[in-house]
Amino acid sequence: MVAGRRGDAHLKNGKQLKILALPAFVWLGALFVLPMLMITALSFMKRGTYGQVVYEFTLNNYARMIDPLYIQIFFDTFLVAVLTTAISLVCAYPMAYYISRMDRSAQKIWLLLVMIPFWINFLVRSYAWVIILRSQGVINTFLLSTGLIQEPLPLLYNFGSVMVGMVYTLLPFMVLPIYVSLEQLDRRKLEAAYDLGATPWKTFWHVTLPLTKSGVITGSILVFVSSIGMFVVPDVMGGAKSALMGNVIQNQFLSARDWPFGSALSIVLMLLSMVLIYLYYRAVNAAEAKEGTA
Amino acid sequence: MKKWKSLMIGAVAAALAVTAAGCSSSSTEEEQVLNIYSWADNFNPDVIKDFEQKYNVKVNYDIYGSNEEMLAKIQAGASGYDLIQPSDYMVATMIKLGLLEELNKENIPNEKNIVSTFQTPPFDPGNKHSLVYTWGITGIAYNKKYVKGEITSWQDLWNPEYKGRVIMLNDPREVMGVGLIKNGFSNSTKDKGELEKAFADLKTLLPSVVAFDTDNIKQKMIAEEAWIGTVWSGDAAIINGENPDVEYVVPKEGATIWADTLAIPKGAKHKELAEKFINYLMDPEVSVKNYEWIGYSNPNEKAYPLHSEEYRANKMIFLDKEDMARAEWLVDVGDTLQEYDRYWTEMKSGR
Repeated sequence: MVAGRRGDAHLKNGKQLKILALPAFVWLGALFVLPMLMITALSFMKRGTYGQVVYEFTLNNYARMIDPLYIQIFFDTFLVAVLTTAISLVCAYPMAYYISRMDRSAQKIWLLLVMIPFWINFLVRSYAWVIILRSQGVINTFLLSTGLIQEPLPLLYNFGSVMVGMVYTLLPFMVLPIYVSLEQLDRRKLEAAYDLGATPWKTFWHVTLPLTKSGVITGSILVFVSSIGMFVVPDVMGGAKSALMGNVIQNQFLSARDWPFGSALSIVLMLLSMVLIYLYYRAVNAAEAKEGTA
Repeated sequence: MKKWKSLMIGAVAAALAVTAAGCSSSSTEEEQVLNIYSWADNFNPDVIKDFEQKYNVKVNYDIYGSNEEMLAKIQAGASGYDLIQPSDYMVATMIKLGLLEELNKENIPNEKNIVSTFQTPPFDPGNKHSLVYTWGITGIAYNKKYVKGEITSWQDLWNPEYKGRVIMLNDPREVMGVGLIKNGFSNSTKDKGELEKAFADLKTLLPSVVAFDTDNIKQKMIAEEAWIGTVWSGDAAIINGENPDVEYVVPKEGATIWADTLAIPKGAKHKELAEKFINYLMDPEVSVKNYEWIGYSNPNEKAYPLHSEEYRANKMIFLDKEDMARAEWLVDVGDTLQEYDRYWTEMKSGR
């Protein structure tokens, strides 16, 4: 790391570095910042009688959100996102740990296995889950034929199946960053801890976990942000029965033809997620600071 | 190992782009091109091929999944499309927004073949901007294996025996329409009291609902995931073809009738060619070939005797006159759509 930095030193003076950032800068400016500004502007406009956007300033779209119905859906959305993140973390960390401890060639195979689902379209994979879980699906057919159950189990179109779908979809986003941070872990520090008499559990808690914090944070944010905007899983695997904010927003842009309200909901959802991510970041850092003084 | 890490970051970035965007094709001006923007599987591909050969033109066929998706693209302007297929209520909206060309009937002499019932639809009286292409009625489909006794009323969906097996279309107007019609109101009411009553009624149905679905409702009925539910007549015909246990009925209280139309968006570059194509589709023999492939009802009166016995005998394709008399069109409700949407959101909030 140190050697690498020194090697880059000749680039540091002047414009060359800026040029490196230019393509990404243009890309984000055109495709992220501009649409963002438009959505913000749209959220203060009015909906016309036939669903067109009327360019008159109003705060009504935000006022409409102060309704127990929408507040409840915001709450549900964050609850599902937090649960998805927590379950993913609990499942992904041991797996990433396991992979990082294998020899190099085995690691490659395992990482490949983690990534292979991305080769198949996400929507197609969701429908594959429907085929597995439905009442005439793979699991129920098997259990019925073995005589373990008499009636098919209701495995699909409920909260449980939504959670299965969410975690299944987003787990790789947690595994990969944690794996990277575990892979970079300086093993000598673990040896030092053992030499000083720490138990394996203590070593994990006081050395490994704090040193892989960046992977945990990156993974958590990736999973959390992705699950907040999710609308495909609740629709396909939840039977479109319990809408998350992503579904409500999608609906504003489609059947309700109310783009201003949809924009306002998007803005509030984004701001709330930013606040939550910030709080999470602070909590993790505070825990670490406490760890340092202990 | 370095390589692997960068590969992984690439994979994460690629996976972040979960949504896929559809692109429309552009037209080359040398040979005549007709750009169609429509629902999936809405034409017999052979009919399009025949048209291309007969008139030495090229037909491009892009698809959309909802009226609103189509509206957004047309509203954005310069879509390059010459022919679109908005549904009834969307025709009314698009006329009001000035997004549809008037049809030049001189180029569509076959228009007179359309059955008189569809010559003056309320969403476009006099068929100035649109002509009915496919149509159907949202009724009840049910599986005789599980649903015993006769189904006659929307009330039958509320039967506790079908708890967890009722399927509804994933569409606010269709679902609210069921609640409104069941209680004797118009499916396009703007009356807040009537809406509230319909919603209160529908809320008691929610525990019975297995799923809201439009795109895959056929599969769910065929696989017997759902036993009973709101299904379009044409879809019911397709389901019945795969699973003969599934029957279809138009409830006694009435039901929603709908149509997908043929229309030309404002500023279409090949308007005349689009009209030629519309006329071609309404040729009796062409329409027979086309509609027996699509599996929906043919509004072409002249084509009726040319259809196969099997097609004509299908009650889910050729609905009774009495059934049609009870059916009601959906009308754009303007600002009240906000009320419909709030009730819809509440129905789906899972409480």
